[in-house]
Amino acid sequence: MAIIRTEHICKNFGHIEVLKDVSLSVEPGEVVCIIGSSGAGKSTYLRSINHLESITSGKIWIDEKLIDDRVRGTNKVHISAAETTEVLLNVGMVFQRFNLFPHKTALENVMLAPMTVKGVSKEDAEAKARELLTRVGLADRMDAYPSKLSGGQQQRVAIARALAMEPKVMLFDEPTSALDPELVGEVLNVMKQLAEEGMGMIVVTHEMGFARDVADRVVFMDGGRIVEDAPPAEFFTNPKNERLREFLKRSLQEN
Amino acid sequence: MEFLNTIWEWLTTGTMGKIWGWMPSLFKATGVTLSLSFLCVIFGLVIAVFLALGKISKNKILRGVCGAYIFFFRGTPLLMQLFFLYYTLPLLIPAFNIKSRYLVALIAFTLNVAAYLAEIIRAAIQSIDKGQLEASKALGLTYRQAMRIIIIPQAYRRMIPPICNEFVMVLKDTSLVSIISLVDLTCQTKMIASNAASAVVYIPAMIIYLVITAIFTVIFNKIEKKLSMYE
Ligand SMILES: Nc1ncnc2c1ncn2[C@@H]1O[C@H](COP(=O)(O)OP(=O)(O)OP(=O)(O)O)[C@@H](O)[C@H]1O
Ligand SMILES: [Mg+2]
Repeated sequence: MAIIRTEHICKNFGHIEVLKDVSLSVEPGEVVCIIGSSGAGKSTYLRSINHLESITSGKIWIDEKLIDDRVRGTNKVHISAAETTEVLLNVGMVFQRFNLFPHKTALENVMLAPMTVKGVSKEDAEAKARELLTRVGLADRMDAYPSKLSGGQQQRVAIARALAMEPKVMLFDEPTSALDPELVGEVLNVMKQLAEEGMGMIVVTHEMGFARDVADRVVFMDGGRIVEDAPPAEFFTNPKNERLREFLKRSLQEN
Repeated sequence: MEFLNTIWEWLTTGTMGKIWGWMPSLFKATGVTLSLSFLCVIFGLVIAVFLALGKISKNKILRGVCGAYIFFFRGTPLLMQLFFLYYTLPLLIPAFNIKSRYLVALIAFTLNVAAYLAEIIRAAIQSIDKGQLEASKALGLTYRQAMRIIIIPQAYRRMIPPICNEFVMVLKDTSLVSIISLVDLTCQTKMIASNAASAVVYIPAMIIYLVITAIFTVIFNKIEKKLSMYE
């Protein structure tokens, strides 16, 4: 029973093939880390899952529901936009650049979607938002506007905002890449805690330590393909793919 | 006493005396200029919001229609649009024979200003980071909800300064209506200049324009400062 299942995903931008037959599944509570060099198609893959990009061909199931079965761009699944949106509420997303709403306070950022999309009452939304912001360690910064928060704090608000919709799985696209090094830890800790609580997630990251400690599986993407998919112990100690071995050697030298 | 008398004399006779005499009619005409500017910007804004949203919508037909409208009104002289509405349209369609010159001017200016304001609004909306729409979508908001709650409130702050700027431009452009003999400040000035054979009247008229634009520039600068405080 996969929470996210993708099969044979292909994605073209014009004539450029960015994803070439990518298949990957995530079980409930499973943490999958994706690593790979720049331009490998990691972001495009994540964005395709929750329809920020539309795939050229392939199949996508969310929570066992088929929402995409595309051939040359046309979807063969008969599903309304509203229904797709509903299914995709199971998927939360956290962006590299946070994308908080700058004209709303931290608390309002977290309350907004449950009230607007699910029709939750203001009282309930606020209670939930306070609880979530406390969980990510921001109990004392709830009324601050994003511009008054550090990058690490902003990213934690963004995580709380996504969690407020009670997703079953979370997508993280390089959540710590835009942060000063000393702020990376606080965000990774929140993610680790989330993983321990049983949240399924796909994390695109360059943080090898996080992948090694938290991931159930690590995936290496190269040139729009998944070329290695293994548990971290095997992935890091006994990589099969030649390109991955180079990649790991390089990232070891950098750190 | 002698000194005050001299000043009084200077103020009430000769050129200055004439200028005072013109003031009531100039002020009355200023009212026309001001109301025309205000109304066409307000009505223009309403149309402009729809034009702007149409021009960035995914619907090709809507995008085409709104784009063509904006292209036409920005691509032809305002003066010709005014003439067209006043002279040509009644010939083509008798029902469009509008008696009131004020109304003709208001319609022509509203339609024209709407095109310019639409571009201001569109640019402001498109200047908002794409990530905002993506985050909204990822949270399950519809396009409409994202526009209404997330994008437009942010764009709004960015469009106020150029809209204020546009208002000052329009205020001066309304002088074109004198060409269809609507008695605005410019028209009134021209009439006085020919009747009294006294071109001095252009001086107080231009001072009135300057004072008005100065007042609005100060007000708009204040608004701008206030808006930027929340950035
Ligand atoms: N909207 C787009 N239009 C055209 N090409 C695009 C678009 N988005 C991404 N690409 C191209 O697709 C390829 C994969 O991009 P993607 O952002 O998925 O890579 P990535 O693995 O996330 O890289 P990074 O580590 O730099 O984030 C790149 O070559 C990129 O130039
Ligand atoms: Mg990326």
